[in-house]
Amino acid sequence: MGVPALFRWLSKKYPKIISPVVEERPEEFDNDDGTKTKVPVDTRKPNPNGEEFDNLYLDMNGIVHPCSHPEDRPPPANEEEMMIAVFEYTDRVVNMVRPRKLLMIAVDGVAPRAKMNQQRSRRFRSAQEAAEKDKATAEFHALQKANGRITDNGDGEETEGPKKTWDSNSITPGTPFMDLLAASLRYWVSYKASTDPAWEKLKVIISDATVPGEGEHKIMNFVRSQRSSPGHDPNTRHVIYGLDADLIMLGIGTHEPHFRVLREDVFANETKPGHCRKCNQPGHMAAECRGTEKKQEEEGVEKPLKPFIWLHVGILREYLAVEMSVPNQPFPFQLERALDDWVFMCFFVGNDFLPHLPSLDIREDGIDTLIAIWRDNIPVMGGYVTKDGHVDLARAQIILDGLAKQEDAIFKRRREGELRKEASAKRRAEQDERRESGKRRRFVKGSDDTPTGFDESVVRRGTRGGIIRGEAAPDINALPTFVPGAAQTKSDPRYTAGLTHADIVGGKANLDKANADNKSAAAALKEKLMGSKKPADEQKAGVDALFANGTANGENGGPAPVLGKRTRDMIDGAADDGALSDPSTPGRNTPNKEIANPMGNGTSGALGGNSKKEEAMPEDTVKLWEEGYQGRYYEQKFHVSPDDYEFRHKVARSYVEGLAWVLLYYFQGCPSWTWYYPYHYAPFAADFQDLDKMKVEFSKGQPFRPYEQLMGVMPAASNHTIPEPFHPLMTEDDSPIKEFYPEEFEVDLNGKKFAWQGVALLPFIDEKRLLDAMATKYPLLSDDENRRNAFGEEALIFSTNHPLYADVAQNFYGKRAGAPKFKLRPEVSEALMGKVSKAESYIPESELVFPLEGSSQDVYTNLDVDGSVTVNYHMPPISGIHKSMLMPGVKFSEPVLDYNDVQMTRERANRSGRSHGG
Amino acid sequence: MSDAWMRYYYPPLFQEPWSHIDTTPRVSLSNGFDNWIKADESIDWHLDGLLQTIQAHEEALLEQGIPAAEAKVSKDVDIVAWRGILSKIMAAPYDFFSDFELNATCFQDTIYLELNHSYKDVVEVNSTQRQQRGMQQAANRHGTSPELMQYWGYKFEALSTLPRPWGECTREEIESRDTDIVNTNVQYCSIVRTGIGKTSLILAGEVDCVLDRKPDDRDKPIPWVELKTSATQTDQSYKALKKWEAKLLRIWAQSFLLGVPKVVVGFRSPVGQLESIQELETQRIPGSVRKGQRSWDGNVCINMTAAFLEFLKESLMGKDGVWRVKMARHSKQISILQVEP
Ligand SMILES: [Mg+2]
Repeated sequence: MGVPALFRWLSKKYPKIISPVVEERPEEFDNDDGTKTKVPVDTRKPNPNGEEFDNLYLDMNGIVHPCSHPEDRPPPANEEEMMIAVFEYTDRVVNMVRPRKLLMIAVDGVAPRAKMNQQRSRRFRSAQEAAEKDKATAEFHALQKANGRITDNGDGEETEGPKKTWDSNSITPGTPFMDLLAASLRYWVSYKASTDPAWEKLKVIISDATVPGEGEHKIMNFVRSQRSSPGHDPNTRHVIYGLDADLIMLGIGTHEPHFRVLREDVFANETKPGHCRKCNQPGHMAAECRGTEKKQEEEGVEKPLKPFIWLHVGILREYLAVEMSVPNQPFPFQLERALDDWVFMCFFVGNDFLPHLPSLDIREDGIDTLIAIWRDNIPVMGGYVTKDGHVDLARAQIILDGLAKQEDAIFKRRREGELRKEASAKRRAEQDERRESGKRRRFVKGSDDTPTGFDESVVRRGTRGGIIRGEAAPDINALPTFVPGAAQTKSDPRYTAGLTHADIVGGKANLDKANADNKSAAAALKEKLMGSKKPADEQKAGVDALFANGTANGENGGPAPVLGKRTRDMIDGAADDGALSDPSTPGRNTPNKEIANPMGNGTSGALGGNSKKEEAMPEDTVKLWEEGYQGRYYEQKFHVSPDDYEFRHKVARSYVEGLAWVLLYYFQGCPSWTWYYPYHYAPFAADFQDLDKMKVEFSKGQPFRPYEQLMGVMPAASNHTIPEPFHPLMTEDDSPIKEFYPEEFEVDLNGKKFAWQGVALLPFIDEKRLLDAMATKYPLLSDDENRRNAFGEEALIFSTNHPLYADVAQNFYGKRAGAPKFKLRPEVSEALMGKVSKAESYIPESELVFPLEGSSQDVYTNLDVDGSVTVNYHMPPISGIHKSMLMPGVKFSEPVLDYNDVQMTRERANRSGRSHGG
Repeated sequence: MSDAWMRYYYPPLFQEPWSHIDTTPRVSLSNGFDNWIKADESIDWHLDGLLQTIQAHEEALLEQGIPAAEAKVSKDVDIVAWRGILSKIMAAPYDFFSDFELNATCFQDTIYLELNHSYKDVVEVNSTQRQQRGMQQAANRHGTSPELMQYWGYKFEALSTLPRPWGECTREEIESRDTDIVNTNVQYCSIVRTGIGKTSLILAGEVDCVLDRKPDDRDKPIPWVELKTSATQTDQSYKALKKWEAKLLRIWAQSFLLGVPKVVVGFRSPVGQLESIQELETQRIPGSVRKGQRSWDGNVCINMTAAFLEFLKESLMGKDGVWRVKMARHSKQISILQVEP
């Protein structure tokens, strides 16, 4: 679940949950002949973090995405390079954690339908972004060539023209890329198990994209399955690696107290000003970067690796034990139950499956609002809101009633804040104008908020040394789809008045229209490159912004929407407040202000950096702060009559189903593969009524097949990820489902400033129509295509030196080979529970074959004898439901919070309640 | 005697080191006292009972497909006894108040030990009276009764155990334990082969519950848990600490002999509110005493027991008849004499 602001909020509010990772890196020694010898770290030695870990879980999409389009270096040249990058990144993470028992590698498989709407939105946007970037790159390349900066005989590779942006949409189950990834991961694990002595004791589970379910949720299923089996060690030390801040919620949901989240510390090692963001060399900008070739020769320019950080679930439990206990509560305090309620309340503010309630925004501490209501109502509710993943709807109603009472005031307060911010920005702009008439101020920062737009990206030291950090620059896959708030849509009268950013990012036709009036972005860039006397960094900023944001132009004045992923620079701008007031630090800018600077021609209204006009948002016609907003909201967003109250309740009931679905998904595993929330927007808290009379039930259903999911989430532009027989369904006029694949779609900014925060108004997929249409094409698939559409098994791989090998050899390959499936003996498997069956693809003592072309490196090669064994792994089924309880025999770590932390947390919690008017 | 009666440890409360007094739930150990189903001596603590217990155990092993040679537990064993007898002997060097008389018989190179019934009854009555006097005094102070105080111990067991492993129990089963009727008829006996010094023994005794589960592999130790209750230690005086250490000696000797690795003590208020629990590792108990008041030394207990068992073997092995082993109060002497030819 990608909730970008969540990580920042967590680390700010609970600063001690974060600590730096101590990492040993391989050492390099100079040989006499000028070569170097790299000595790998012996990870059999004690973990330098002072503690050993049993299990490491990798949410693999958090490795594959950054490796495929890295922020701080050139993208891999081909798929082999990409896989090597994945291997090396994974190796680094494994070496950091040094799991002593188990490594689980989980790649996203087909997702529940509830998630697909968001995936669809991301992929449509991503394809659009890539197309725009390619277009700009092509024009840029042509320009360079025309200028003689690239000559055919100079740099051979350049004659072929620029490479197309690698389509990150390929990172979706069922694509040829994912097939290759699965094979590569199996190879790599077998290779490591055969060659690295530290892996002799390790068991590795690979759950690739053929196994249905999102990666992190497959990991949770595994943890739950182990936990409910006798033999589980309640003091198992777990680490999960991934990018999403909500892994910490999942960690809490396991009720395993020794649980950590591991992630990159994205704000360390900033690029030096004036250096290329990709190769870190001075003198050119990222867009001109020619790659890494020359990097090795120059000394001291290699960018140090970003350090990692721990997020300690155990310490968060300490904080919440204080925050979630209410003095004199009328029923016994149970921390595990209170923790679940806390996770539940976090869902209201953001998750991948539901838009958040308009009155709850994480940037406005929406979670705190809910916790305060929850604390106030503990005596009324007489118990916890959730139990083992099930919602007590009568108690949920009490919480929502509490929020409904505050709703009007929240919207009014939000409006006041916005007005205040606008006023102060305007004031500052005027001051600047007076002070330095020629120079433009590069940064605009709200007086009481993070820099507008990208927010959440702050590194600060807390008063007592706790590190406060922000959200990682999300890959496109981690962006929120649903961000309601205030609202505008096509039915909004303003849209007929002229071109707005929503139109601009909304589709190609509109772009063309805009570009006909204004110079195209590439043309503007050309002008800039040929004539500019500005420092290179400003060019860099401009080009980066351009590439990140597409060739958008508009004429309405106001800030530019930023489509797609937030660039590194945006993060940098926010990451260091000091830079904001230091105009001598180029490169740290906020592209939304700078986006059109290189175009510097003043002809483009909306994106023209020249415009000193205050960043007036287009008028918000819902006006949440004015009476009657509910009617306007439903009219403009849902296109229903303002007094259709029954409709509002219907939306609210769907939303409640969604909350119930999400909670079960987190605590018990997917309750229904087919359920989804069928609206683009959330209801108001006031629309929830009589929840106690509601009964929520789910039918489990079946997951989509990989190709069905691909057809459900991909735009036509990414059809290369889908077998050809299906292509006509996306593009041909006579396709019965063509309307599922619009080339143009609206992004409703919904009160937000940036397109990536807005709501992509894509039509919902009708499952039956999709499957019916696809059924006609299935007979045309090749055998190999059919193979990729099948569901697979989880693989268990370990060294033939592992004691478990004897059991496997005896059962599957001995003279008296037994049943095709046997139960692991926990005494031998070190408490890995479950069954294994023979993997047909595995032949003992055969060669291990490198599955890629294999030309660019000589580390990962074929091995004469595979020193590992591969079997299919089957998790033990969970009897009954997963209980949110601690397990007998658990030993707690020493408390980390000191007296002051506890007092502060308690006082803050007490202050926030009703009695204190918070 | 089948595993169907096995209980599984699940504590009634968890004490995180950061949990705060005002949030720790209080549980009354008196709940359900009126519905208590009291034990009617379901276990026959005589030698017959011991032999039946062993026989049942061997049959169970055969049923599981264990080869007969292995299932014969008493093979090559010097001494067979209830655990309680050995724990009295073990505590003897430091226990100046208890006395006991044992009957010993040698049959096919194995010595069987049991309490001398007639004497046992006398001793039981005495000790019960003594115990009850103490309890009565405490009870009077706090308006409880000795019977109620006895119930607290059983109630703590009921609150701390489950009929099936945690993963197989529902939340409702776990949370309704407080309203379950306490039935002290049902007990689970464990039989262990052990060795002290040069003597091999078969010991049988009641065990409260298991942590997690019994390992499938019979060679692996079973993670038994012994449950005890005690008044919360508020008094830190020398006398109070000595008294606590004396209690630890009995707990340790009992658990050590059956190889019970973990003891869980439920501390209660004077009126029977469970206030906290403490998990002790059996093997660490002597060390904690060594660091405390040093009122006993585990090595002394073990060495003395080993020496006694040697002496017993030398005296009785291969001889017919019934023999009497005696220790009198305050005597610090164990004597052996023949009572029947
Ligand atoms: Mg994921």
